[in-house]
Amino acid sequence: MKSLKRRKFNDRAAHWVITLGGAATVFVVLVLFFFIFLEVYPLLKGAKVSKENTYVLHGKAVSTGVDDHQEVAFAMYNDGGIEFVSLSDGEILKRYDIASLNGSSIASVSRDRDRLVLGTNNGRIVTVYINFSESFDNNKRTVLPEISEAETVLVNNEGKGINYIASRGDESATVTAVHTEDGRLMLISSEVERALFGEGERKEIRKDITGLIVQHSHGQSSLKSYEDKITPPAFSLAKGGNGGGQEKHERGGTHAVSKSIIHASGQKGGVGITSMALDLFMENLYVGTSSGEIFHINMQDRENPFLAEKIRVSDKAVTALGFLLGDISLVVGDQNGGVNVWMQVRDAVSPSGWTLKKVHTLTSHNAPVIAVAPSTRDKGFVTAATDGTIHLNHATSEQTLLNLETKSIPATLTFSPKANGILAADFHGHLFQWNISNPHPEITLKTLFGPVWYEGYEKPEFIWQSTGGTDDFEPKLSLVPLIFGTIKGTIYALIIAVPISILAALYTSQFLHNSFKIIKPVIEIMAALPSVILGFLAGLWLAPLLERIFPAIMIMPFFILLFIVIALLIWKILPVFGKGRHRHGVEALFLIPFIIGAVFVSIRLGGVYESFLLDGDYRAWFANVLGLEYDQRNSVLVGIAMGFAVIPLIFTISEDAMSNVPNSLRSASLALGATPWQTAVRIILPTASPGIFSAIMIGFGRAVGETMIVLMATGNTPIMDWNLFNGFRALSANIAVEIPEAPFGGTLYRVLFLAALLLFITTFIINTFAEMVRHRMKLRYSKL
Amino acid sequence: MKKFIRTGNPYIWLTAGTLTICLLMICGLVVLIMVNGFGIFWPREVARITLYDGTVALGEIAKRESIPHQKDSFRTKLKVGNRDVSGLDFTWFDDTDIVSREYPVDVLVFERREWGNMYGFLKGLRQDDDVKPLSLEGLMPLLKESQNLYKKIRYIEKKEIGDISYRMEKSRLALKRLMLLEPSEKVQKKVSAVRTSMDNQEKTYREKEDTLTALYTKAREREVVVLLADGREKIMPVFQIIRVFAPNKMGFFAKMGFYIAKFWEFIWGEPREANTEGGVFPAIFGTVMMVLIMSIAVVPLGVLTAVYLKEYASDSFIARLVRISVSNLAGVPSIVFGVFGLGFFIYFIGGGIDKLFFPGALPTPTFGTGGILWASLTLALMTVPVVVVATEEGLSAVPISIREGSYALGATKIETLWKVVLPQATPGILTGTILAMARAAGEVAPLMITGVVKLAPSLPIDSHFPFIHLERKFMHLGFHIYDVGFQSPNVEAAIPMVYSTTLVLLFTVLVLNLTAIVVRNKLKKWYNTGSM
Repeated sequence: MKSLKRRKFNDRAAHWVITLGGAATVFVVLVLFFFIFLEVYPLLKGAKVSKENTYVLHGKAVSTGVDDHQEVAFAMYNDGGIEFVSLSDGEILKRYDIASLNGSSIASVSRDRDRLVLGTNNGRIVTVYINFSESFDNNKRTVLPEISEAETVLVNNEGKGINYIASRGDESATVTAVHTEDGRLMLISSEVERALFGEGERKEIRKDITGLIVQHSHGQSSLKSYEDKITPPAFSLAKGGNGGGQEKHERGGTHAVSKSIIHASGQKGGVGITSMALDLFMENLYVGTSSGEIFHINMQDRENPFLAEKIRVSDKAVTALGFLLGDISLVVGDQNGGVNVWMQVRDAVSPSGWTLKKVHTLTSHNAPVIAVAPSTRDKGFVTAATDGTIHLNHATSEQTLLNLETKSIPATLTFSPKANGILAADFHGHLFQWNISNPHPEITLKTLFGPVWYEGYEKPEFIWQSTGGTDDFEPKLSLVPLIFGTIKGTIYALIIAVPISILAALYTSQFLHNSFKIIKPVIEIMAALPSVILGFLAGLWLAPLLERIFPAIMIMPFFILLFIVIALLIWKILPVFGKGRHRHGVEALFLIPFIIGAVFVSIRLGGVYESFLLDGDYRAWFANVLGLEYDQRNSVLVGIAMGFAVIPLIFTISEDAMSNVPNSLRSASLALGATPWQTAVRIILPTASPGIFSAIMIGFGRAVGETMIVLMATGNTPIMDWNLFNGFRALSANIAVEIPEAPFGGTLYRVLFLAALLLFITTFIINTFAEMVRHRMKLRYSKL
Repeated sequence: MKKFIRTGNPYIWLTAGTLTICLLMICGLVVLIMVNGFGIFWPREVARITLYDGTVALGEIAKRESIPHQKDSFRTKLKVGNRDVSGLDFTWFDDTDIVSREYPVDVLVFERREWGNMYGFLKGLRQDDDVKPLSLEGLMPLLKESQNLYKKIRYIEKKEIGDISYRMEKSRLALKRLMLLEPSEKVQKKVSAVRTSMDNQEKTYREKEDTLTALYTKAREREVVVLLADGREKIMPVFQIIRVFAPNKMGFFAKMGFYIAKFWEFIWGEPREANTEGGVFPAIFGTVMMVLIMSIAVVPLGVLTAVYLKEYASDSFIARLVRISVSNLAGVPSIVFGVFGLGFFIYFIGGGIDKLFFPGALPTPTFGTGGILWASLTLALMTVPVVVVATEEGLSAVPISIREGSYALGATKIETLWKVVLPQATPGILTGTILAMARAAGEVAPLMITGVVKLAPSLPIDSHFPFIHLERKFMHLGFHIYDVGFQSPNVEAAIPMVYSTTLVLLFTVLVLNLTAIVVRNKLKKWYNTGSM
């Protein structure tokens, strides 16, 4: 015999263990909620600077760059020197001098990943490739810079400097646009003609396209006015970003790189070009002018470039242009500090069918924007202004994620290849470097729940399209189409389920004969039916069947009603029938052959109905008369299948509520002379209404979260319309489809967790509410 | 009449109609699955269809239906098989094009390891460039022989080579772990030991592979020539054939025997041809094992919660909180549990276990990826409410007088609970467990993201230490239905298979539910007589 003490201790311990075990359920729900929330939380956080460094340079940087791992950076000086700086200790690892420069200096740079095209102050174009290769030795990575020079091209013989340059190229072709000191705009393209036999031949085309711009300019007067308006110090500094800089900053002062834009534009026949951008396809050149206009020059035919469009984008000069990843969106920075994203949008009015439209507006700088650097990972970009501010932006979400400050003027700007760092250099020999963490720039409340103007769309829209075929794909993560899909499926399911289940519950609880109460567990078992079975039957059996006999389905309810009436009449006419043991309460069984008959007759007559009323082809009729497309896997199908899943749930709970209505009420009503039906409708239904309500709520919760049926019975197309005959994509199915492919910790992964959180919260509220209503009802019954 | 309407009787009929619709829907569904699921193993006769344009086709008639928008016209869907020759399993024929339809007696159906069924006539055995005539009876011993060969090959591939690669993988990991250590003489010694054993394994592996190659060459030696419907001849190794039969010759009992054999293969066999043929044994095994692990996890939690609610908690705040939690766990969509399982169990806990105990295998995850343990735990969370509700019911059924009797004899609360109340409530707990199992067996959505795969290379239980591999991925009946029916490249040919899998799943779920109901009713009777 154990001692009393021991037994007491055991009792106490058991008490605690059981209490803790009971509380564990609460704990599970809390963990469920908080864990999902923790996974979502990083979406709400912005970008962060994790490291900030300044290094010393030895000259005026005209371009900078960095390797994939942000270990080695390079700075190119205007004298053609390239220095590689170790970002761990600031040590100069290597210096290289571009040989083909021959003593001239660099006036402008166009950078296209590893290809740098330099415009010199004596009118030549030098192409340099800077690569970082990695080698592994004893599991230690070393980064080796590699430089190679390509051939030099002479633009003009007068030796005029190149103010602006924009160049793109691949193995077979290169296109370079230059704006020279004397105000001319030249297009130089070379292409290797593919010959059938032997080596390809290099073909070069040179075009002076100054005329395209001058003819369409506002004329000299407006250019003059621009000269008057601009504030020389600020702007010539800005200019320095690409060219050389202002006299007073020049240390040696031996060779003036380029004068200033004012000088160039003042010349006869010159134009106030202030920026240029050439797209990846080497077909569209955008030229920004001092009067705030953008000239879009189409050069699909390199022999005959033409002006496709001229559009005013700002009331001040366009000081910076740059393409975002994918070369569809154009970032426009102006002299006011405004940063906007423009792109070609379909337009019926414009002759070419396309026009440049402003799609995103970002936070303005307080000074002229001088540089734009796109990310090579997403639609993000960095802008710098003459007041030393650098903004990290994201185009799709229209947010400015970071606001960096330098004490001087950033002349050149680079976004690191993995989009995790920013590099900027000024003229005073400073190289600024920031390591940033910017995991989810594309997510804001607006991109999740609001219309967003995506690349290639005509207007802001709600789109869900998480992945695309190419690297430059713009993820479209609007949850609205999915929420819409969930609501659509739920509503159609409830439209079918609620009337059937509540009426059936009413009959079962009030009128069904006691000897048939076995029907209730049968329907309860229906609730245990795995939804994958329903989904499979809906998708593979019912969908093609429904497509064949849809007209029959349309007339089926009427025939069922008709046959019920016929059954009723037969019942009345043949009084012998059922006069035996079950006078009432066997209607449901009596009706079985009639309803089967009704289904059979309506299928037979479906074809007749179709040929007389729907012009012989119901799909064509829907398309012509109602304007609705019929998909095989559509919302009606989901309504039926999901209704099937929800019916037993609503049935069971509301049947419970109705049969638990105290018998005294029922008896009182009947005793006062009310018919059974009157009792049912006027007494039972109102009394049980909280229970019925909570049954519907629980059914709603089930339909909202149902996954497999929606996944299998709809086409899973995230579209938004109420059309009965097309599919949709629900939140739950979307999670099931996409989460196996979502990389851990990525934006898509977290957005899918957010979808799960939404489902959780919705069902939590619904269930808690339903539970409370039911609790109240129980209390009320016990008082009756 | 008006009076009759006013009594509301017609409306009662309307409500009766809705109940009838519900009943018909569920019965129709069960009948549909039964007919389609049981029907597919029955050998169907093979028809030869000749068209007016001279085309001859051989195959099973799969379906005949009216052509939409054309009066009194029908078309026939023929399963022509021979996927390697025609590229398609099914062909439609308009009945107006058909000249004749006959059932040749000696037509054979070849079930093959690849490319589905073949329908044709046996011409003979190929010998060099000649064809030696062969009867169906003559083919049987050859078939037996090749099946034995197949078994042998499978044994070597699965068991022997499987063992070797398992050991090699172990050695590789051991080597990797040793490499992470500080280099010392002891470590060096171990490294060289592992290396030698690896070399040995490599050698045995090569030997086994040579035997395999020899066996495969032997397997390809014997070939039969089959005459196809269009007069072409097809040469096929006997090894390719799994089963051959002449359906048009079979009597009822022969067909019955065939049916049983096919059904046996379906339940106990492994899937073939991207799961569209063969059996579903791994899926059944995976489902059962997952459900068992789940019940081990769910029963303690569910019973504790129920005991707390019923025996310990007064109507306190915490008790209400627990109640709300339970009802919410029941209402939260299953996919949310799946997401939680993925993030919490797999990435958080599994990833943590990997870092602590399996650093050698990284970056290949061991527990940090979907597996049967995580799937079971996820479902356990989901089914807690089922156990709680049923256990509570069971506890309420235990009369207060019994408890009071126990207290009166001096027992403490826990003693009463443990020795008196819980044993009496066992049927309730059992009901809850069975219902939870039924729920888990049918659930697919959370499993899809926590460890179910379409084809698992090995079962979670095998002969390698520690015998039960909880980190392995597994197959599941419900997912099998989804995968074969919706992700398979040849859905049309796979549908019969999906129906029979559905039948197995439906059967499992219904039997579990019925058992639960029976247990619950027993419980009621027991107390009605036992408590007095």
